[in-house]
Amino acid sequence: MSQEAYKVWECQVCGFVYDEAQGWPDEDIAPGTRWDEIPDDWSCPDCGAAKADFVMVETSRV
Amino acid sequence: MSERGSNAWPARFAKPEHTVIVGTGIAGATAALTLRTEGYQGRITLVGAEAEVPYRRPPLSKEVLRGTVKGERIRLKPDTYWSEHAIELRTGTTVAAVDTGAASVTLADGEVLGYRNLVLATGSSPRELPEAVGVPGVHYLRSLRSATTLAAALAGRGPVTVIGGGLVGLEIAASARALGCAVSVLEAADRPMSRVLPAWLADPLSALHWDRGVEIHTGVTVARIEHHPRRGGCTVSASNGRAWSAATVVAAVGTVPDTGLAQAAGLLVADGIVVDEYGRTSASGVFAAGDAANLPDMLHGGRRRGEHWNEAMEQGAAVATTIAGVLTPYPRLPWSWSDQHGVTIQVCGRPDLATEHEVHGDPEARDASVVFRRLGRVVGVVAMSRPAEFRALRQLALAAEGGR
Repeated sequence: MSQEAYKVWECQVCGFVYDEAQGWPDEDIAPGTRWDEIPDDWSCPDCGAAKADFVMVETSRV
Repeated sequence: MSERGSNAWPARFAKPEHTVIVGTGIAGATAALTLRTEGYQGRITLVGAEAEVPYRRPPLSKEVLRGTVKGERIRLKPDTYWSEHAIELRTGTTVAAVDTGAASVTLADGEVLGYRNLVLATGSSPRELPEAVGVPGVHYLRSLRSATTLAAALAGRGPVTVIGGGLVGLEIAASARALGCAVSVLEAADRPMSRVLPAWLADPLSALHWDRGVEIHTGVTVARIEHHPRRGGCTVSASNGRAWSAATVVAAVGTVPDTGLAQAAGLLVADGIVVDEYGRTSASGVFAAGDAANLPDMLHGGRRRGEHWNEAMEQGAAVATTIAGVLTPYPRLPWSWSDQHGVTIQVCGRPDLATEHEVHGDPEARDASVVFRRLGRVVGVVAMSRPAEFRALRQLALAAEGGR
């Protein structure tokens, strides 16, 4: 498969996890939305931290 | 460390480069992680009394109580991370004493660890409600263990009385309500979150709680708590004669800093371990960070103690950077957040000092940002559901003050 695997991003402030595979339907971010495609002024849904406060994590999905 | 020439440190300072961090909460854990990311080459020992590897506390009052996340999902890092980064993590380990003269700590089992630098990140404990002393069945929330115990009680779906309408009390109330419990919050002040918000911002949040079925009773002073051994639960009686019976009672009435170790070591302690703006205590090579530290408020004057997650994290990072060689002050304008019924509330600074304010949006609809000023100077920012504005306004406040 040429399709790159979905990545998981974690808010370094509160630990909220954004999984590209699942998106964030609460804010109309469709499943499969890549991190790069999310607007830069997007905020963590839990604590309000900036998109820049997220880091990519290698984590097991549950 | 190797021997040096005549310009070397005096022999008594020529200890191996070793940083001991007491406390595995977010301040201590962040200090350990940051030492490594800052390139610190010495030995790092992270010691904590809690049995668990470092974990995130904010979800305790929310997802953990609601049962939507398991304990292992709130771990700060994977279990192997610590050893992979040469951080000696010693959980379930109590420090019995600190000897600042010998620059060593003694563990409960008698082992002695010498240090070059010591970070006391001992945290805080829930303030005990005097009326609850000796009454079985009154819950407090601080640790994962206490959250798990409370979650099991809430799972019975019985009525809940929360004593204390601060951020933690209201988050517990919202979580219990989401589980289907009937919830009453008893607050001594005239409004919830009185330490953080003025009445005109607290009222719309009170209304939100009432809309969602959480009763908030203000001006209530608890006079007595009775436990009912046979039918279970407790009755909380107020000095005005009202009483609330509940299956589960939770007290969330603030915190007290854990300063016993510091005090016994002879460090200066006054509502927390007294530090300067770089986290330095009264003893050489000894720092304090997080809830246990009492620091100068460089923006507003006086001294204060942080009690919020982000501030503890930022202090842990700053103190580690200082130890690694770059003197770094504690943040001047820390911020905090709360999540209640899905509304994100963010606060920084001291809104209580304000003489004027400027509102953007609609506080009644819980969709607003507010800048608080005192004689023209920004002293605080509060936002509800407006995180991007909050970030911008906070940066503006910092730029105006020349702070970081």
